[in-house]
Amino acid sequence: MNFAFDEEQTSLGDTVARLLADHAALVAPDLSADAAGPAWDALAELGLFAMMVPEERGGAGLGPVDLALSVEAMGASLAPLAAVDALVVTDLLARHGTPAQQEQYLPRLAAGELRVALAMIEKDDDDAPESVKAKVAGGVLNGVKLLVAEGAQADLFAVVAQSDSGPAVYLVPADAAGVSVRAHEDIDPTCAHAAVTFAGVALGDDALVGPAAPARTVARLFDAGAGMMACLLTGIAGRMLDTAVEYARTREQFGQAIGSFQAIKHRCADMAVAVEAARSATYYGVWTLSENAPDRARAVSMAKAYAGEVARHVCNETIQVHGGMGFTWELGIHRFLRRTKVIEHSFGSSVWHNERVLTETLRTLADGEAAQQAAA
Amino acid sequence: MDFNYSPSENEFRMELRTWLAAALPQGWGETVFEPEDEHERAMFRLDWERKLHAGGWSGINWPKEYGGRGATLIERGIFAEEMARARAPEGINIIGHNLAGTTILAHGTEEQKKRFLPKIISSDEVWCQGFSEPNAGSDLASVRTRAELKDGKFIVNGQKIWTSYAQYAQWCFALVRTDPDVPKHKGLSFLLIDMSSPGITIRPLRQISGESEFNETFFDNVEVPAENIVGDLNGGWKIAMTTLAYERGPEDALGRQIRFKQELDQLLITLTQTMQGNRSAIDNPAVRQRLARAISEIEIVRLNALRSFSRLLDGADRGSDASMTKLYWSHAAQTMYEVAMDALGPIAPLSGNDPAAASLGRFQLSWLQSKAFTIYSGSSEIQRNIIGERVLGLPR
Repeated sequence: MNFAFDEEQTSLGDTVARLLADHAALVAPDLSADAAGPAWDALAELGLFAMMVPEERGGAGLGPVDLALSVEAMGASLAPLAAVDALVVTDLLARHGTPAQQEQYLPRLAAGELRVALAMIEKDDDDAPESVKAKVAGGVLNGVKLLVAEGAQADLFAVVAQSDSGPAVYLVPADAAGVSVRAHEDIDPTCAHAAVTFAGVALGDDALVGPAAPARTVARLFDAGAGMMACLLTGIAGRMLDTAVEYARTREQFGQAIGSFQAIKHRCADMAVAVEAARSATYYGVWTLSENAPDRARAVSMAKAYAGEVARHVCNETIQVHGGMGFTWELGIHRFLRRTKVIEHSFGSSVWHNERVLTETLRTLADGEAAQQAAA
Repeated sequence: MDFNYSPSENEFRMELRTWLAAALPQGWGETVFEPEDEHERAMFRLDWERKLHAGGWSGINWPKEYGGRGATLIERGIFAEEMARARAPEGINIIGHNLAGTTILAHGTEEQKKRFLPKIISSDEVWCQGFSEPNAGSDLASVRTRAELKDGKFIVNGQKIWTSYAQYAQWCFALVRTDPDVPKHKGLSFLLIDMSSPGITIRPLRQISGESEFNETFFDNVEVPAENIVGDLNGGWKIAMTTLAYERGPEDALGRQIRFKQELDQLLITLTQTMQGNRSAIDNPAVRQRLARAISEIEIVRLNALRSFSRLLDGADRGSDASMTKLYWSHAAQTMYEVAMDALGPIAPLSGNDPAAASLGRFQLSWLQSKAFTIYSGSSEIQRNIIGERVLGLPR
């Protein structure tokens, strides 16, 4: 048992953080998506997209734990959300992809050449991936997906849709007939969100991911995504904490640094404790993803719900600590506030994940009671 | 990062699990519970601690030469998990194990270690803590209890307060003023005081829970041998900081987490079996969200402690995150008991032996007890000052 990252994991996280720090435009106040492309290229050049590709497919064969600090750094730097989607799809194909899918897509994903976008959310949907109404019948996909990050730049969509036997993940080329993309108007235009309509799209023979276990494939996609989102949220929360503390140390009022006032100091202390708690939950959740541990659903939900609530809280507090400056456009804190809200609703909201934490806990308790009764 | 356990760690777990199954009374936690009477309960817990010691399950990660098991911090974590799983009773010599022993281990002389540690591990000697005074609470360094060195003995005069378990304790460690003429942090010493010494009077203090776990302790010309000082004369503040780092540290938090998790599990089972109107209490959606949050926070108390263990094993300094550990668990647990009272619905006020009370009234008592969590071993406000200044580097 060891709850620490090893040297390679830490060093990779540091490298990603330093690399993204050179892309200052990512955190600029203006809501432009222009910084995403160069940042993506730099991450690709670093080899980030090859990290989770299995070694036999030319990658580094790493898992979510190995990338946790890197994804945290991506959160702190407001790296393109689509880059994390690519990692999630890579994890999915590495674990559930057919040999043909792996051969076709993983090398291009590893090189950062294939832009893949996740198409999950629908109007009138709840957060559960099982509730989607997009439908595949007779090899033809129909449905409308919302909030697809960088949807207009995608070469390939990973679409959650109902098969004849329940939800499944399908791979759909963006240039397939019947696919159309509309740019959204939303609170964080830097994600380049789009609505994607699949109108009678004929799917290829090998479109279904994980044909042996489609439901497990959907669950993996959702949990891996939620775990990665928890890392992003933790990264944002950590950066906002640092920003607030730095301001409290240097900004003077009444002739002294405002951080000397307990009204400010105590807020900062509470934020620091919250950020560490979010890290504990997130790192454990990510470990269950790497191991595919039996408590994966519960641990990932805990991480996503908790990190989401912490990131939201820390963003709000950071604005407050900055006073009037915190509310200005030019300071750019709003970028983190906006991104946090998007991620909070990505791969399940806190409300949905909290419900799953309770359901899973009750199930485990009931199993435990039953086992004890059986033993007695 | 790896939460899998090694074969020897798994062996440790299974050995303990087997031992616990045999050691706990038949029907424990289902039909057999702790005594309700406060004194009987204290004696029951003392017996349990001695039973743990007899079985070799005390002083888990303390050196073997002083009677400990010599196990790793990781095994200490496993110990906590298994105690939670078996719903094992708490101990009473918590201050001996977590504070006196750890401080003596860190700063005591070899003679002090040999004299005191084995009897702490065996719970033959129970300890209490003489830090707070009526006029020295959050401002601990302003303690006034005097100790004057005369003829090879300290003569102690003064009053301590909130001395938990003083009525059961054979020993007390105390922070006393040995030099009143220097800045307050520089005139303090750390003494080990035999509670059977003439001149010590204990007066129980009743708490909001109705219990009298803690006391006022008066020292009237109490003689303490000079060799019972830990650290240097007037060097007591540094020793007390070590004590506080352990009091607020991960071992303490993990021990408490056992109880919180047991009670939370019990709450969930109770709510599943309690009807409110035409639905089960567990099916109230507003309550479900808050329960989930409480489950996460109590789990995070454990994860925070395990992360601290890993940092300590990597050689990190113990002091830096102790305040964060304590601030987190105290608020997490307090919130959990508030959720419990809300979730129980209209019968929430029923306590103790009332036949209509839920789960033998345990949540009502715990809810009242939990109000102390954010006050003792440094109030939340003091912890936030420490975190703000020493962890975040904000100005004083």
